[in-house]
Amino acid sequence: MTTAALEAIKNSAIERIDAIYIGNVCAEILHHQVQLGALASENLGLTGIPSIRIEAADASGAAALREAYLAISSGMIRTALVIGVEKLSDGLPEEIVSITSMFDKYEYTGYQGFTQASLAALLYRHYMERYEVSQENIAQFPVIMHENASTAPHAQYQFKISVESVLNSPVVSEPLRRLECTAIADGAAAIVLCGEDALEGNRDEAIEVASVSMSTDFVSPFDREDPLKLSAVSIAFNDSLTRAKIDRREVDIIELHDSYSILAPLILESTGYSQEGRAGIDAKNGKYSLSGELPINTFGGLKARGHPFGATGVYQVAELYLQLVGQAGKNQVDNAKIGVALSLGGLAATAVSTVMRAR
Amino acid sequence: MVVRIRVPPNWRAKQFRYRLIVYRCDNCGTIHQWPAIICRKCRSTRLRQSQLPHIGKLLSFTVVRQAPIGFEEFTPYIVGVVEFEDGTRLLTQLTDCEPNELMVGMEVEAVVRKITHDGQSGLIIYGYKFRPRIT
Amino acid sequence: MRTLVKISGIAIHGYGGYIPKLRIKSEEIARIWGKGEGELPVKEKSVNNIDEDTITMALEAAKYAIARAEIDPKKIGAVNVGSESHPYAVKPSGTVVAEALGIGPSILSADFEFACKAGSEAMQMIIGLVSSGMIEYGLAIGSDTAQGRPGDALEYTAAAGAAAFVIGKSGNNVVAEFEASKSYVTDTPDFWRRDYERYPVHASRFTGEPAYFHHTISAVKMLLDEEGYKLSDFDYFVFHQPNAKFPYVAAKMLGIPSQKIEAGMLSNFIGNTYSACSLLGLVKVLDEAKPGQRILITSYGSGAGSDSFVLKVSEGIEDKRAKAPLLTKFIQRATYIDYARYLKHRDKIRV
Repeated sequence: MTTAALEAIKNSAIERIDAIYIGNVCAEILHHQVQLGALASENLGLTGIPSIRIEAADASGAAALREAYLAISSGMIRTALVIGVEKLSDGLPEEIVSITSMFDKYEYTGYQGFTQASLAALLYRHYMERYEVSQENIAQFPVIMHENASTAPHAQYQFKISVESVLNSPVVSEPLRRLECTAIADGAAAIVLCGEDALEGNRDEAIEVASVSMSTDFVSPFDREDPLKLSAVSIAFNDSLTRAKIDRREVDIIELHDSYSILAPLILESTGYSQEGRAGIDAKNGKYSLSGELPINTFGGLKARGHPFGATGVYQVAELYLQLVGQAGKNQVDNAKIGVALSLGGLAATAVSTVMRAR
Repeated sequence: MVVRIRVPPNWRAKQFRYRLIVYRCDNCGTIHQWPAIICRKCRSTRLRQSQLPHIGKLLSFTVVRQAPIGFEEFTPYIVGVVEFEDGTRLLTQLTDCEPNELMVGMEVEAVVRKITHDGQSGLIIYGYKFRPRIT
Repeated sequence: MRTLVKISGIAIHGYGGYIPKLRIKSEEIARIWGKGEGELPVKEKSVNNIDEDTITMALEAAKYAIARAEIDPKKIGAVNVGSESHPYAVKPSGTVVAEALGIGPSILSADFEFACKAGSEAMQMIIGLVSSGMIEYGLAIGSDTAQGRPGDALEYTAAAGAAAFVIGKSGNNVVAEFEASKSYVTDTPDFWRRDYERYPVHASRFTGEPAYFHHTISAVKMLLDEEGYKLSDFDYFVFHQPNAKFPYVAAKMLGIPSQKIEAGMLSNFIGNTYSACSLLGLVKVLDEAKPGQRILITSYGSGAGSDSFVLKVSEGIEDKRAKAPLLTKFIQRATYIDYARYLKHRDKIRV
């Protein structure tokens, strides 16, 4: 995280960081480290400033960003460093499986052996039953992710895949296949945020954070009124649009939280970009490809760029930054002015929607 | 012995796990899997103990092959959602069946089984599971 | 010297049995260990699922017994599980069974152990507790996930199952009345398990004449003589069934026509369910017996001893029988597994 943070600070040309916000999930569990905030400020030679770790499962990074955003908006601080970091490979695979079972209501589901993958699989089967769609529809999404990642230098997996290879990959938890789930990943991303009046030098390279909204839902998906409606996503998304004073049709790019393939259609349908049950068909018709009407996960998303839990929310916003400032290289979406990052905690118990806008 | 399964939280959960005793909101009917003080849906404080039905329909199911710590010896095992007549849903393991015997919509009934145990010397956890209806 | 013989005013209010779904054929075990087909003591036996144990099976059998008894569980003053495979060596199985069925907390709940007669001993004790007026109803349960050493003769028969009885003072609407009982116990080491040992040890042929037959026959003879019964007074005889043969031999030795033991014979299809064994035979008989018929059930537990009971079926049985599933439902619910899966389920693979 030190490497990413120092680079972000350098690029930002901001002289003084007033506070640090870190998104991270596994510090206590895998690294026996609490008080990550103080450790980070020490590592960055910034001891003395406020520094705190924020946790909201895999929305931690986005939640940390929101805290920084709120603090700056309040006027209490002028600049903030937001870091998302996770080193999952320090843990054994079974430890990571156990950790994700904590993203649900552990004393209800984890205690009886549910894993997050199996919960996603239950939603997946339910989705296919209700809308009478085949798995092929949902398998479109990992294909898009890998396609985009193939030209993204920072992506974890840069090989393309096909729908057949998705459907033939080993079964994780039927109907979920291996190529529909994110793998163990390590990573860090950092962003420097500042108030308008604190912008120094490089004003052209500053991208506006137009709004950051968060919402929560019943933690366990089948406790909700409709398990296939991610209301935390709808609420956060709509609130972020309202606060940014934009209409959904003005959004040029969406970075969405595809920790499992099924979450992509659920998110797109919960935000109204696809009708219920039809996100797969829209994907098949090219709507969500890089060159399509509404590109999603332009560098590969969680599946192909990678999903180091606490870092992901910051990755999403950093990638939107690259797009909006025109530095997305081969993955550049032309004329991108507004991007939204949708970050989920677990299976959308928490949702954070961040609207980024070119100035 | 390194304790993996703690006594207090598992002891507190007994009645829910053994008998499907839940806390139901008198105002809106929402159920809570532990003693709730305020309804999570409508915020009413009129909550009382209630028992879930022991027969329901299977809404969805899947198989766990990569187990969390403590469940390795049980793989592959089946998990699913049961839906009761009033629309309440319950997450549960399915037992006494193979995945190919299960169908969305089939009737399932509650039994009490061994959920897991803390090695050879730690606590044994018992709790509800559901099986295809026979009785 | 008479132990309790004549019983009056005590009845079975509800009964229930449970047999796990999985089965393994003796020929499958023989395939692995090279035994000949003619030497197999039973055709197949029940195997508990990986999530079943003595407590879970006891619980299910007890649930059916309570359903048939049609009483408020809170009226049960004792829950005693007899087993040789209690999940905890210290912490009674009955405590979990009681809480899971909404019974208690003002109850007795110690575990019983007496090899295969632990369940019937629990029955005797509960008859005593009810008779004394200390409790209104008691739940006597025999339940076992019997363990056989791989390759040993007993591996073919050591099975899993549970039987439960709600016992209380006689009333208008009961399943059957106790008329008499006899217990016969000596220090006879035919089969035992030392503390901390995984598997029991048996003395081979010694388990026959001086053990099973001596105690079974003695208990029966003493009960019949002291109470003046004739064999023809009984419509059903149920014996402990460590294999498919012994009960027929015992019947012959006593002069009992073999068709009178058929109804209660289960071990050829489900093996020896140890503490549940003779009690499940009783459950099977109660599933078909008619009011006015008389049953003699005799358990046998190694170590050794037998409990023999005379039961007279009551008018209420037909109604009560219908309130829970018949045992045949569980007997017929059978899925066959191979030896590898059996080893996995019975926790015999050293990891």
